[in-house]
Amino acid sequence: MNYLGLILKNPFRNKTRASLAIVGIAIGIATIVALGLVTSALQSSTETTLKAGQAEITVMTNGSNSFQSSADLNLTQLDNVKAISGVKDATGVLTERVNLNSSSSSSQGFGPSGFSVTGIDSSKLTLAGINASSINGTIYSGSANEIIIGKTAAANQNKTIGDTVTLYNQTFKIVGIYETGSFMTDGGAYMSLSKLQNLTSNSNKISNILVKVNANANVTQVSQEITDTYPDLATTTALDQAKMVNNLLSVVNTATWAISLLAIVIGGVGVINTMIMSVYERTREIGVLKAVGWTSKRILGMILGESIVITLTAAVVGTIVGTVLVEGGLMIYGITALKPVFTLDLFVRAFGVALLVGVIGGIYPAYRASRLAPTEALRYE
Amino acid sequence: MNNENIIEIHKLKKSYDKGKIKALNGIDLEIKKGEFVSIIGPSGSGKSTLLNMLGALDTADEGTINVAGVDLTKSRDLSQFRSKEIGFVFQLHNLIPNLTVLENVQIPMLETPLSSEKREERAMELLKSVQLEDKINQRPTKLSGGQRQRVAIARALVNHPSIVLADEPTGSLDSKTGDIILDLLKDLHKKENVTLVMVTHEPYVANLAERSITVKDGKIIEEKINT
Repeated sequence: MNYLGLILKNPFRNKTRASLAIVGIAIGIATIVALGLVTSALQSSTETTLKAGQAEITVMTNGSNSFQSSADLNLTQLDNVKAISGVKDATGVLTERVNLNSSSSSSQGFGPSGFSVTGIDSSKLTLAGINASSINGTIYSGSANEIIIGKTAAANQNKTIGDTVTLYNQTFKIVGIYETGSFMTDGGAYMSLSKLQNLTSNSNKISNILVKVNANANVTQVSQEITDTYPDLATTTALDQAKMVNNLLSVVNTATWAISLLAIVIGGVGVINTMIMSVYERTREIGVLKAVGWTSKRILGMILGESIVITLTAAVVGTIVGTVLVEGGLMIYGITALKPVFTLDLFVRAFGVALLVGVIGGIYPAYRASRLAPTEALRYE
Repeated sequence: MNNENIIEIHKLKKSYDKGKIKALNGIDLEIKKGEFVSIIGPSGSGKSTLLNMLGALDTADEGTINVAGVDLTKSRDLSQFRSKEIGFVFQLHNLIPNLTVLENVQIPMLETPLSSEKREERAMELLKSVQLEDKINQRPTKLSGGQRQRVAIARALVNHPSIVLADEPTGSLDSKTGDIILDLLKDLHKKENVTLVMVTHEPYVANLAERSITVKDGKIIEEKINT
């Protein structure tokens, strides 16, 4: 037996009380870990989206946004954009949200309104972030009823290459399944632009223009020129989108910190209570330890150590529970495109919070224990 | 300080409650190395206060108290003094319930630089002396009152103290078990060559010592050599 062994053993004398204190702190830690994992997964997916998106600028009608577009652009506007200086390539896309056949109506792609289908010329798929290497199978042809779907969508709809889907009362054969790493892109499907235009009675109409700029051109300047030349158009750049998503993630991040703070306060109060009770119950024992020669410093270290043992145990429990919740949740809801990122930073934060709670919660009871007068402690009933 | 004496107390005074309660009112006492002395007196006479002063658990208001060459009125590092020089046996065993018998005996040694093997070896040696070698892995709650007190005695002796201070060591035991504990204390006092100071309120127990000191109202009123 040694000093450290004693510190590890003591907190579990009263198992119920120790367990309750651990559960209280573990809930806070689990929340921190779960939110952190979700944030990092979203961040990682967003970064993938932006890297994979070959087009640097998305053009839409002024007043709409790149995520929810309606078919209100036309091919003339596409030609106008192509003529802007610095534009290397541009293509029109038409995005529609559809429900698949009734048997799979409960399975949805990304978004609340169903399954996102984008029409794009098959030779321009790279502008949408889909390279030939990211497709398992083949690219759809312009003439046949063919479609490629994202890996997440395929998993959600339980479809594989060779299966069919029904869109607008027509049967389409799945010829390829692609994976870009972006949960938005991988949750949808792509098909011929002209086919989708015909199916949706949007002949010659598009919802967005994807613009690739020349290597030596400045994305912001090109974007500015498009909107200056055509005030009825609006643009969003990859950088804008990144900023928007990052703003959203920073809100989640702030919430995580707020929860961390709350966990520190609530957990700290819980630990103070647990440790004060423990010191009260062991007053006579502390008197004995002083009588046999233990220094006040050693007693302070023991009680503080016991407090930290409780909170670090809670950190282990909370980290496991938080991780299992996120992994399990993603698995149950079939969200394969979101992959939690286990960063050192997250675990340092979880264990740092636990350590802080342990120190804050343990310091006062430890100080009280160390200051006990031995004679009074030995008389304590 | 006389070389033969391990304890020298001169005009020791101690009061509580802002001087209202005079626990010790001018005690002069000398105890020789290796001596077995009992302190007897009624409740509230100051005998336990005197014992606590000897063990550096409490500080004096006035007077001097020199134990094992250490002036307790001046020394600051009393923890180290207690660890090296004093072994306590209390009326209630005061063992730590979640530790085994062997671990309880090792507790005072955690302040020493001894390796865990050496600590265990010493604890085992003493547990054999108190005939509890077959109980080393048991928790105190599984032991009888007498067995617990034997563990407490082993704990008191584990750091080779020069003085053992026993505060009513048989007070919570039946007379038969009490006798066994007293015999054990006497044996170990001789075997380990320690000075034994025992507080009791029973004349029969006090008479087992080589010398008995009677305390009343914070003063020594009688000293007696027992034959």
